Amino acid sequence: MIFWRYLARRTVHTAVTLLLLLIFMFTLFRLIPGDPTTLMLGSGELPLEAQQRLRALWGLDQPQWRQFIDYAWNLMQGNLGMSFYFRRPVLEVVRPMLENTLLLMTPVVVLAISIGIAGGTWLGWRRGGRAEEIGALLVLIPRALPVFWIGIILLALFAYQLRWFPIAGMRETFFFPANAWQALPGYDVASHLVLPVITGVLVTMADPLMIQRTALLEVRGEDFMVLARARGLSDRAQRRLARRNAILPVLTYSAIMVGFAFGGQVLLEVVFNWPGIGRMMVESITQRDYPVAQATFFLMAVAVVFMNLVVDLAYGWLDPRIRYE
Amino acid sequence: MTAPPIDRDGPSLARRRELLRFFVGMGISGPAAALLAENAHAAAPPAGTPIPPLTAFVPNWPDHVEIWRQLTQAWAPLGIQLEIRQGTLDTWVAQVVAEHKTPHLTSMSWGGAPDRLDPDYFLSEFFLGRRADVNGTLNYGRYHSAAFDAPCEAQRAEMDPVKRQALVREAQARIAEDIPSMFLLHKDIIQAYNKKNFDGMTPIFGNGIGAPYMPMAFMGINPLTPRKFIKISNIYDIASLNPFLTPEVYNSGIMRLMYPTFVTRDAKTDLMPWALESWSVVDPTTVDIVLRPGTTFHDGHPATVEDVKFTFDFILKWKFPALSRVTDSVASAEITGDHTVRLKLKAPYAPFVANVLGYAFLAPKHIWEAVPANLASPADWPNDHPVGSGPWKFVSWRKSEFLQFEANKDFFMKPKMDGMVFLPVPAVESMIGMFERGDIDMVAWGMDVPLATRVEKNPDLQSVRTPTHGMHEIRFNMAMAPCDNPAFRKAMQHATDRQKLLDVIFAGAGVASHGAPITPALTFWANPDIKMPEPSIDMARAVLKDAGFGWDGNGQLLMPAA
Repeated sequence: MIFWRYLARRTVHTAVTLLLLLIFMFTLFRLIPGDPTTLMLGSGELPLEAQQRLRALWGLDQPQWRQFIDYAWNLMQGNLGMSFYFRRPVLEVVRPMLENTLLLMTPVVVLAISIGIAGGTWLGWRRGGRAEEIGALLVLIPRALPVFWIGIILLALFAYQLRWFPIAGMRETFFFPANAWQALPGYDVASHLVLPVITGVLVTMADPLMIQRTALLEVRGEDFMVLARARGLSDRAQRRLARRNAILPVLTYSAIMVGFAFGGQVLLEVVFNWPGIGRMMVESITQRDYPVAQATFFLMAVAVVFMNLVVDLAYGWLDPRIRYE
Repeated sequence: MTAPPIDRDGPSLARRRELLRFFVGMGISGPAAALLAENAHAAAPPAGTPIPPLTAFVPNWPDHVEIWRQLTQAWAPLGIQLEIRQGTLDTWVAQVVAEHKTPHLTSMSWGGAPDRLDPDYFLSEFFLGRRADVNGTLNYGRYHSAAFDAPCEAQRAEMDPVKRQALVREAQARIAEDIPSMFLLHKDIIQAYNKKNFDGMTPIFGNGIGAPYMPMAFMGINPLTPRKFIKISNIYDIASLNPFLTPEVYNSGIMRLMYPTFVTRDAKTDLMPWALESWSVVDPTTVDIVLRPGTTFHDGHPATVEDVKFTFDFILKWKFPALSRVTDSVASAEITGDHTVRLKLKAPYAPFVANVLGYAFLAPKHIWEAVPANLASPADWPNDHPVGSGPWKFVSWRKSEFLQFEANKDFFMKPKMDGMVFLPVPAVESMIGMFERGDIDMVAWGMDVPLATRVEKNPDLQSVRTPTHGMHEIRFNMAMAPCDNPAFRKAMQHATDRQKLLDVIFAGAGVASHGAPITPALTFWANPDIKMPEPSIDMARAVLKDAGFGWDGNGQLLMPAA
C-alpha cells in the first residue's frame, strides 16, 4: 500500500517535471534570435517577401502563446509536430537517428558500467597498493582527454595507418564482402562500431568505476565485512559480498547514464560521422528547427527522469532496508 | 520586388531581448552575449574627441578571424583599435541580416552560386537604397545613394546586354567611389579527385568540379576502373527530396540533377538550353521557350508542353517561397505551339533567362497534380521517389549517410558514368582520411592550399583550383560614425593590403579585388576603369588628415574638429 502511494506521488512529480520542462524548452529555443526561416534569408536564397510568406505558411507569425497551445495540444495527441527543416513529421525524422544512436550507445553504456563495476571493485579491494595507484591513473587519463581527440588518435592509428577499421560512417555505401567472415550479417556495421565504441567506453567508464571504488571502500569498513572475515570467508567471497553491497550508488549513476545515452554523444558522432541524434540536436538548434530540437531534448529528459524513477523504485527491492515514504 | 518596411516583431522582440539579458545575467547563456549588439545608430563621438574602438562582428571561420587579426595590426598605426566579436553563421544572420544590427564593421564571404554570375545580385541585393531600411535584406550596411540607385534599377530592366553593360559598369563606379563595402578578394575553390579512378573533370568558374547546381561539371567525368559510379563527398546533406520546398543552394542543386532547369550554364558559364531546346526573347516582357523534343520522365512518361505550362501554373498557384523568383517575374504561361510555351513577364527583368529559367525546373504534371490535397502546400509532400527528366535518376537516400543516383541514358546528353553517390561527411579530417584511403573519389568541399598540397603527396590524387566570382567582403555601417565619413572609408581602403591578405591567409590562391563587387574575371560586366586602391598607410594618413581627422599625443585617432 505504501509502495503504491509512493508510486502515485512519484508519477505525479514526474509528470509535473516534464510539463515544466516542456514549457521551459519551448521558451528557451525561441529565445535564440532568428527563426527557422532566418538562415535562408541570410544566405540570400530567400528574398524578404518570400520569407514572410513562409513564416505565415508555417504559423511562425502567430503569437508565441498561440504556438505553444497548438504544440501542447498536438503533443497530448501524441503528435510531436512537423519539422520545419525537413518538412516531415518529427517522429519520422528523429526515429532513425535515435535507432542509430542506441546502436552505438548500448554497447558503450553496457561496457562502461560492467567495466566500471568490475574495475571499481578490483581497485577498491587493492586500496593503497601500487596496482590501485596505476589503475586509477590509467582510468582517469582518458576521462580527462577530449573525446574527439581520443577518437582522432584511434582513427589515425587503427583506421588510417593500420587500416583495420573503416574511417567513418555507419556502413559502407556499397559493401562487397572480400571473404566469408566479412559476409557474416552485421559484419559491416560491427566493423564501423568498434572504434567509436572503444572511444566512448574509454571516456565514460571512469565515472562508474570511481563511484564503485569509493562505495566499496565505505562498505569495507562496515561491521558485516569484519564479521565475514571473522567467519573465514574466502577473499573472493568477501569481495563478492562487498561488491553487491556497494552497488547502489553506481546504479543511480547508471540510470542517468542510460538516460543521457538517448541524447547521443555529439562529439563522438561528429568525429566518426555516425548519423545519430546528438548531431541532429545540434543541427536542429542551428536551423532553429524548434519541433526537432524540443523532441530530441524532451526525449532525453524523459529517459533521464524515467530511469531515475525506475532506480528509485528498484532501491527498495535491491536494499530491503530502504522504505518508501 | 518592392517591400514595405516591416516591423518584424515589434515590442515582443524587445521583450525577448530583455529575457535574454536576464538569462545572460544569470550566466545561463554566455555565448548569447555576443548577440546583444549596441544600437546600430549609436551616437557619434563629439568633434575632436578620440574615436573609441570600432566593433566588428565576424563569422567565427578561421579565414575571417585571420583577416581581422591582420587588419588589427594594419590599422593600428592609424590610431584605430578594433574590438572583434565572433559568432556562428546562424547568430550572424539573425543579428546582421534579420535585424540589421550591424556594428561599425562586419565581414562575410559569399559563395559563387550560379545566380550571382549575373551582375544584378551583388549590386541590387547589397546596395539598393530601398533595401537599406528594411530588416532582412542584404543591404545591412544601410547604403543610400540616388546616383547608384538610378543605374542599378535601370540595368535590372534593360534586356539589351550591351546597353545593360554600360549601366552595370556605371553602378559599379558609384560603389567604387562611395566605398559602402570593401571587397577584399576572390578566393579560389580548391577541390580534389582520384585520378586513378576517374578523369574528365570540368572545373566551372565559381563552382569547381563537384557543385551539384552546375550539372555540366558531371557530364564529362569518365570512369577508369570497373566501378563506374563516382563517390563525391561534401560536408552537407540534403533536407528534402521535394524540389518545390527548399531554397537552400546545395539541396536545390541536388534536386536539379533530377529535375533539369530549363536553361543551364556550360563549361564557360555561358547560358545553354537544358530542358529546353531553345529560347527567344520576343520583346522585353515576352519570352518563348521551346521544350526539347523527345524528352521523357524517369518513369517513362513523355514530357510535353503541357508539363511546361503546368510547371509555371503550379508555381504561380502555390507561390512556393523557394521559387519566388518565378512568382515575382512571370505573369502567365500559354501554349503557343507543339513544343512552344510563351511566357509573359510582369515587367522587363534582365536576369530572367539566367536566374529564372536557369533556376526553375521541368516538373511532371501527372505526378504533381496528384499530390494529396490535405497538405498545406505541395511543398510539404515528402516526394520519396522523385521522378524528373534530368541526367540523373533517383535511387536512394539515407539521411546523413548517402544519396545515390543512376545515370539517365535517355537524357539527350549521356553521362559517361553509371551513377553518382553523394556522401555527407561533416568532419573535414574524416573526409580527407577517407579520400586518401580511396573510400571516396572526390572532395567537393573547398580545401585550403596546405591541405591540397598534402593530399597531392598521394600520386593517385589530384587537386583542382577554380577561380570564382564569390568573395570576401567587409561592410561599413554607413549610419555610424566614423564609418559614415567618406574620407574615413577611403583611408581604410588604403590601409588594407588586399594582395597581402590573399598571400598570407590563402597562400595567394585567388584574385585580389579591385574594389568593385564584380570580379575582374567576369570581363563583360566588370568595370575596367576601377583600379585596385593603392595599399599605403601614408596615403591613408594623408586622406584622414585632409578630412580634418587628427591624432592625440598617444597616436589615437580623433574625430574631425567641428
